[in-house]
Amino acid sequence: MLKPWTLAVGLVALGCATPLAAELNVPIAVRVVSFIQPSPTGVVSAAILYDPGDAASEGEAASIERGVGSGLSVGRSVIRTRRVPVSAIGTLSGFRVAFVTVGLRTEQGSIAVAANRSSVLTISSDRSCVQNGHCVVGVTASPKVQITVNRAAARAANIRFGSAFLMLIKEI
Amino acid sequence: MGVSVSRVSLRLLLLTGVALYPATALAQAVDYQALQETVGEPVTTSVTGKPQRASELPASTVIITRDDIVRSPARDVPGLLKTYAGVDVNRWTAGQSDVAVRGGVQTYNARLLVLVDGRQVYLDHYGMTDWNLLGVQLEEIQQIELVRGPANALFGFNAASGVVNIITRRVGDAPSAAATAELGNYGIGKLAGSVTLPIAPMIGIRLAGAHTREDERDIPSRLLQPTQIFDVASDQISGDVTGSFDGLEAVIGGGHATNSQIEYLPSQLLSNQDYRSSNVHGSVARDTSWGGLTLNGYVNWLNAEYGVGTTANTTDPIVLRNRIIVTQASSLVRLDSDNTLRLGVEYRNNRLLSAYQFAERIAYDVVSGNAMLDLHPDDRFALTVAGRLDRLWLRQSGVITQPAYDDPRDFDRAFTRFSFNAALLIHTSEQGMLRINGGRGYQLPSLATFGSRLPIVTPSPIPIFVAGSPRLSPVLMWSGEIGYSHPLGATRLDATAFVTRTENAIASPGDGLQTELFLSPLPSLVARFRTTGNYTTYGTELSASGAIGSLTWRGNYTWTHTDEQLTSLTLPIPYALSPRSTTPVHKANVTLGYNVGRLSITGVARYTSATRQFAFSSMPQLLLYHVDDALALDARVGFRLTPALEAFVAGENLSLASGAAVSPIPADRHVRAGLQLAF
Repeated sequence: MLKPWTLAVGLVALGCATPLAAELNVPIAVRVVSFIQPSPTGVVSAAILYDPGDAASEGEAASIERGVGSGLSVGRSVIRTRRVPVSAIGTLSGFRVAFVTVGLRTEQGSIAVAANRSSVLTISSDRSCVQNGHCVVGVTASPKVQITVNRAAARAANIRFGSAFLMLIKEI
Repeated sequence: MGVSVSRVSLRLLLLTGVALYPATALAQAVDYQALQETVGEPVTTSVTGKPQRASELPASTVIITRDDIVRSPARDVPGLLKTYAGVDVNRWTAGQSDVAVRGGVQTYNARLLVLVDGRQVYLDHYGMTDWNLLGVQLEEIQQIELVRGPANALFGFNAASGVVNIITRRVGDAPSAAATAELGNYGIGKLAGSVTLPIAPMIGIRLAGAHTREDERDIPSRLLQPTQIFDVASDQISGDVTGSFDGLEAVIGGGHATNSQIEYLPSQLLSNQDYRSSNVHGSVARDTSWGGLTLNGYVNWLNAEYGVGTTANTTDPIVLRNRIIVTQASSLVRLDSDNTLRLGVEYRNNRLLSAYQFAERIAYDVVSGNAMLDLHPDDRFALTVAGRLDRLWLRQSGVITQPAYDDPRDFDRAFTRFSFNAALLIHTSEQGMLRINGGRGYQLPSLATFGSRLPIVTPSPIPIFVAGSPRLSPVLMWSGEIGYSHPLGATRLDATAFVTRTENAIASPGDGLQTELFLSPLPSLVARFRTTGNYTTYGTELSASGAIGSLTWRGNYTWTHTDEQLTSLTLPIPYALSPRSTTPVHKANVTLGYNVGRLSITGVARYTSATRQFAFSSMPQLLLYHVDDALALDARVGFRLTPALEAFVAGENLSLASGAAVSPIPADRHVRAGLQLAF
């Protein structure tokens, strides 16, 4: 049986500051926003789409809120978040970005429709959301940072990224 | 002929650029800091021209980040490079450093191309880099990228053993400043600063300036040396303006730098030099949904005075004035989501003016075209191929110095060279990667090597000259390597085996001059720069790095073996070129860094095995001097007084290992302290 200190050392060695794979890496997700063309300026409102009845979804929503705090500066813009229950996704207008939490697979299709209608950039840690073309950007950080962009979803939402960024990520 | 060639070349370039622009457009301005923060590792464009992650590069590459620079005990770029595998740094004198990649150690190393933001700072007059004349200080640098192995397919002549590309910090959205004031033993003094200011929503300026000095090391009396010995002094001022307009970025700027120091010439004679360089540069990068276009141009001027104060009553140094004009256009095209094509054209005009050469002006024009294809057929494989065709026209003009030792028609010459690089990457597991790559490149004879004509002072009743040769051909280099990298948790492991073949290496005359006798109008002897043979370097580079909590660590070991078929080393030594003697066989480095609260500590241990280095004895006679193996210890301790201000103490070669400089002149222990501002 492992002693507690052994576990602690192991966690430190593996980089315990890194978010768990199931959670969105907020600093990276926010950084992605700065590569939209043309570059956003000023306050960028971001919705955190979550399911109030789903523990994993609520947990990730809380994690994103903590990560962004009262606002995160990136490039020439400041990202500010507000929780939006998935039942209210018709109100995505006014947002430029939407963080799609885990546990919303059945709602991802309707999220995409709402996001496309308002040209909202959808970002998720749920790889399947991007693979199914319901989210524009997928971010995973373990074992190393992988950013995936769904070209069709980006086009549908009228989102364009700088070419330097696109050469560094996986586009599907 | 020469004039018409340059006109044709310019016209060709303009036509090609016009043809490319509407069809392809761009290679965008890259914000390295933002991209690094996004993908979690350094990003570079130095290997293929397209932005790539450090862990996915098709060449053996080192990227030294801003954090690495800030925490290092090093004072300059060679000092930063010397702790990495496959890199030899010789500090011949206090001011003169040479950086060699994978062997081939020699003074005035012509085989490593050095760039600042893509602009050449490598000096073409003699084919060398004066690391105190870069016109950039550590405070201004975002990252330093070193590509090991020939990179001619992207960068052209002289990237024969590798490329160092120094990337400066971009103007951000808020004002920023960095400054250092330090003093140390041996007269070390440095005052350097840079500021970036956004002066309008889309426009920013950057200004930088620096003054540094240091006493020259004690040169042993057994070594031949000039009557006067310069201490090292350098000054620099530079600035640029950047404008960003919806996917288009334009930069225009310039700079001026000076440097005085004593150096070992390629002949291994010690000589005082005064350098003054200036530049103007401009670039436009356009980003589009499918790629981008970059147009780039610059002019570098160099005024070099050689042999200043060689004797007490000598006031007439040898003056060389070099000017280089470069224009480049490149286009990066995303063929689809996985594959990329890069096309580029370049024109350069390079001229050297001096009274100490065949004619008043020796010059050449080079027109080049290059292409790179980066293919990713699936997630496991990547194939990169790149090729470049260079056509050079050599010429001379102006008054021919008499007596002339060459036929003027020998300078009316042109040649074409094709260089290439190829790499196959295989992802052997989710994180393990095998890299097989190689290439062919060329080192161009320098302008001095083509046309110099220097009288040398000897007791001989017949005058003797050292002269270049317009008939010299570029030095050919072949390289191949196989590398494997794999992360294990927080630890990254890299292993590379390489072989590099150099054919028809050029050397400067040394001792016991092999001369040609000319009888008209009066008898004189001429010793030529010439090709002296071939050599092959084999080696392995093993590196590991990682972090445990607040402790970061990095270690590497390099084994280098050289087979050479060069001119004899029996006395008198006719040519000072013997990489087998001058390149250390074993090198190892360990770097530890620790941050806790306001305190940061960095320690470096560097081991270099014994070598033999060329120098003239006081007799004078060209000899190979034994240089001891060395275990040098460097350290830096910084304490943050405020979030923006740090006090620091740093030392290099604290163990006072005489061989740490890998020079016939023993190394000193350097200690310095100062304040560093950054916000």
